[in-house]
Amino acid sequence: MAYDVIVIGSGPGGYVCAVKAAQLGLKVAVVEKRATYGGTCLNIGCIPSKALLHASEMFHHAAHGMDALGVEVSAPKLNLEKMMAHKDATVKSNVDGVSFLFKKNKIDGFQGTGKIVAAGKVSVTGEDGKVQELETKNIVIATGSDVAGIPGVNVEIDEKVIVSSTGAIALDKVPQHLVVVGGGVIGMELGSVWSRLGAKVTVVEYLDKLLGGMDGEVSKQFQRMMAKQGMDIRTDAKVSGVEKTANGAKVTYEPVKGGEAQTVEADVVLISTGRKPYTAGLGLEEAGVALDNRGRVEIDSHFKTNVAGIYAIGDVVKGPMLAHKAEDEGVALAEILAGQHGHVNYDVIPGVVYTQPEVASVGKTEEELKAAGVAYKVGKFPFTANGRARAMLATDGFVKILADKETDRVLGGHIVGFGAGEMIHEITVLMEFGGSSEDLGRTCHAHPTMSEAVKEAALGTFFKPIHM
Amino acid sequence: MKEITCKLLVIGAGPGGYVSAIRAGQLGVDTVIVEMAKPGGTCLNIGCIPSKALIHAADDFHRTAAMAAGRNAMGIRAENPTIDFGRTIAWKDGITGRLTMGVAGLLKKAGVKMVVGRARFRDGKTVEVETETGQQVIRAENVIIATGSAPVELPMLPFGGKVISSTGALSLTQVPEKLAVVGAGYIGLELGIAFAKLGSKVTIVEALDRILPLYDTQLTQPVAKRLSALGVEVLHGTKVKGMSSNGETLLAEAADGEERRIVADKVLVTVGRKPVIEGWGREELELDMDGRYLRIDDQCRTSMRGIYAIGDVTGEPMLAHRAMAQGEMVAEIVSGKRRSWDKGAIPAVCFTDPEIVSVGLSPDEARAAGREVKIGQFPFSANGRAMTLSAEEGFVRVVARADNHLVLGIQGVGAGISELSAAFSLAVEMGARLEDIAGTIHAHPTQSEAFAEAALKALGHALHV
Ligand SMILES: Cc1cc2nc3c(=O)[nH]c(=O)nc-3n(C[C@H](O)[C@H](O)[C@H](O)COP(=O)(O)OP(=O)(O)OC[C@H]3O[C@@H](n4cnc5c(N)ncnc54)[C@H](O)[C@@H]3O)c2cc1C
Ligand SMILES: Cc1cc2nc3c(=O)[nH]c(=O)nc-3n(C[C@H](O)[C@H](O)[C@H](O)COP(=O)(O)OP(=O)(O)OC[C@H]3O[C@@H](n4cnc5c(N)ncnc54)[C@H](O)[C@@H]3O)c2cc1C
Repeated sequence: MAYDVIVIGSGPGGYVCAVKAAQLGLKVAVVEKRATYGGTCLNIGCIPSKALLHASEMFHHAAHGMDALGVEVSAPKLNLEKMMAHKDATVKSNVDGVSFLFKKNKIDGFQGTGKIVAAGKVSVTGEDGKVQELETKNIVIATGSDVAGIPGVNVEIDEKVIVSSTGAIALDKVPQHLVVVGGGVIGMELGSVWSRLGAKVTVVEYLDKLLGGMDGEVSKQFQRMMAKQGMDIRTDAKVSGVEKTANGAKVTYEPVKGGEAQTVEADVVLISTGRKPYTAGLGLEEAGVALDNRGRVEIDSHFKTNVAGIYAIGDVVKGPMLAHKAEDEGVALAEILAGQHGHVNYDVIPGVVYTQPEVASVGKTEEELKAAGVAYKVGKFPFTANGRARAMLATDGFVKILADKETDRVLGGHIVGFGAGEMIHEITVLMEFGGSSEDLGRTCHAHPTMSEAVKEAALGTFFKPIHM
Repeated sequence: MKEITCKLLVIGAGPGGYVSAIRAGQLGVDTVIVEMAKPGGTCLNIGCIPSKALIHAADDFHRTAAMAAGRNAMGIRAENPTIDFGRTIAWKDGITGRLTMGVAGLLKKAGVKMVVGRARFRDGKTVEVETETGQQVIRAENVIIATGSAPVELPMLPFGGKVISSTGALSLTQVPEKLAVVGAGYIGLELGIAFAKLGSKVTIVEALDRILPLYDTQLTQPVAKRLSALGVEVLHGTKVKGMSSNGETLLAEAADGEERRIVADKVLVTVGRKPVIEGWGREELELDMDGRYLRIDDQCRTSMRGIYAIGDVTGEPMLAHRAMAQGEMVAEIVSGKRRSWDKGAIPAVCFTDPEIVSVGLSPDEARAAGREVKIGQFPFSANGRAMTLSAEEGFVRVVARADNHLVLGIQGVGAGISELSAAFSLAVEMGARLEDIAGTIHAHPTQSEAFAEAALKALGHALHV
């Protein structure tokens, strides 16, 4: 019996595509080589990292955040094993949730490595080496991404001393000194976890700022906050070697602008220099599926590869490597396969960094608008002038709204602050509507909430804020 | 004292009054504001802000106490947390102090003149103010009445001694050992929960058969559950009778007629708020009333030309952000702009544990309005972010027209859901359809994903349940 769709990979791209396709009446199978469903995101990515971020934040807050409120407590103690168990339990309930969804939607799951034999044919090789061949009308490649390593540097990741994010969410003790190579989202999040739990953290970053593509003002303020939290941040630093030593590892880097190489010793080194599309063993070459110059599966605007009946979504194709981007592509593709007209609006994809404070952004940065020669206006509002932020001792950060100078249409929104990841969504909904900063500023916002700062920034974009 | 003449006079510097004055000043309108107490009104001094500060401190204390008791799934152990309540209150007072000073600064920056004292109308264009240095007469082309509201007093439980209002509760210097709360509206529950977390033994007495009667039971059920977990006793269908003759015990009558005696160190009465319609010379004017409130039209005009009214004095919902939105609008109208304002998207938040949010119509309200509706509800137990936060209680619910999917209302209950209210309001304000919400990419993992999922559910299928 042939399937309508076989999805290879059960990450947020793959499992969401499968669920949606099944909901639309298609007969669906999913092939996954990992023991559990949910991909990078649920097993070793978003979910476990956020569980640890929350737990470590609680720990740090109990130790430092409460004296000002009149709450007195002696130094809290950490039971790391129990904290890891909390993380594992969170992962388990999430991946179990995906199995449940498969059952509920009558999706067949196959455990094993999927390989495209030809259009319409997928083989599954199980742990035991047994091979099964499946037939299908359509194949969806959703094999995601893997740790990239440092370009031009030979690094041996053992996940104990030299770790990727996967090892960094499973350390069995708090390192004294953690060196993070790469100050992007994953590095700063996991660096924060261990810093809060007591590690000294040094971040070595090639660029002249943290969080690469973020709005310049945002990354500048972010860097200041991270430094204030005690992280040692070294930007403009090109790592030339990471080696294990007798009692840990050492990282060697050279200033990008020239100068003498420096070495830092560490108990643990986290390599968080990015991720690369994962296509090993998929049989793409034999099937004739083309890749682009960065090793990603090449697709057209309908997720179609150059081979009829083969599609690709998620981290393995172009675009931001984000779970919700993968999910949305999964939904759109399922709709297309069911004869509908799914599409993804790539201009309005929010991004969140779950540090404390959080950073969230959607749409264009000020630098991007400048480079594109767009005439824009800016409104900003600091959380220091927000009542709820004061009542929660969370006054770090600000909201920044960018709008077209003539039409007032909102082109970008950026938030640094406690809970930014939730607040960004009203700007996201607004941008999806093509709304103006006046629309945003004139929407009644509940008092007292931190979101009032979004309204105030919008008021500032089209006229003047009230509370500043 | 020399008379002042101005284009706009605002009476009362609560969120309604001060926002209208600032906006008018920014627009170049010659504006004066009169306040007899501190700028910021109920909201900044004895309402929203101090209550939320206390709630935050109580949350932190309670969470740490749970850590000390080993009730923490995350492996954090704390020892003997104590609360120095005097310091907590000083911290809270520091915040309200800075904010009210901030408001004074903003008024000044916008070029608004502030007069301190009680205002009283002499006639529709003239107001006298009793200031410390004598009487000040102000003549104005336009006047905004923004005198706000005050706690309702029960005849059998007059304020004084053990019997306190929300204002008294926010300035206690000690955590009462036993606290009785009369009235299970949002103010009573917010404060009752905060004191329970600070260690008080709290009993809530409510005449109706449920808490938060303005919200449906689906929304209030998680709060009821939490109350019982916190050891708060809720006496439904129970009417208070007064204090015992020695003033020690609160007397009440249960639904079955049986007498209840509730021993309490403090009795907090939160049975609603009443508009301040006396004390400012209403008798000198010809203002139409709407029940106990001042009657206004869509532009906040009263029945007298040139006199506007905004905020709590104009009725429900008595919320700070409604007062502010009205204030902003009236300032712009006085400056010559054409403005109106859609009241369909005023969010209401209960800062209980968990928080409750409601914008627009509930399912029952929509049906009562004769609508055929589609409803989508998505539980936080199926939301990854909620799991990572150990906060799986609650849900988001979307109510839409069945025929064209126009979103009529959005409700939810859950930890931290107050900040989701902005996206809810915006969706209603922009006239979103279910498809618009479902089609907007929500970041993963966030609680906001539950919003898109609820819309998908209303359309037929959620992805994650
Ligand atoms: C530490 C960390 C934190 C992150 N945090 C966030 C965050 O907060 N928010 C966010 O949006 N994104 C986050 N991400 C990124 C997010 O995890 C990815 O964008 C997302 O998982 C991509 O989804 P996907 O479905 O494309 O691929 P993946 O999730 O990578 O899933 C691909 C799956 O395919 C399987 N597979 C591969 N090849 C085969 C084969 N041949 N046969 C069978 N199965 C195969 C893999 O085993 C895997 O399970 C994070 C990533 C990491 C590493
Ligand atoms: C404990 C508590 C918690 C609350 N929490 C929230 C919440 O979380 N969110 C929310 O939206 N709302 C909340 N509210 C309600 C909110 O405080 C009110 O809706 C809001 O303050 C109304 O604003 P207003 O400008 O109409 O009046 P008010 O804030 O009451 O201000 C009126 C002002 O007018 C002054 N005044 C009166 N008469 C005169 C006169 N004759 N001359 C001069 N000045 C005069 C008063 O001194 C006062 O300062 C809460 C209220 C309380 C009590």
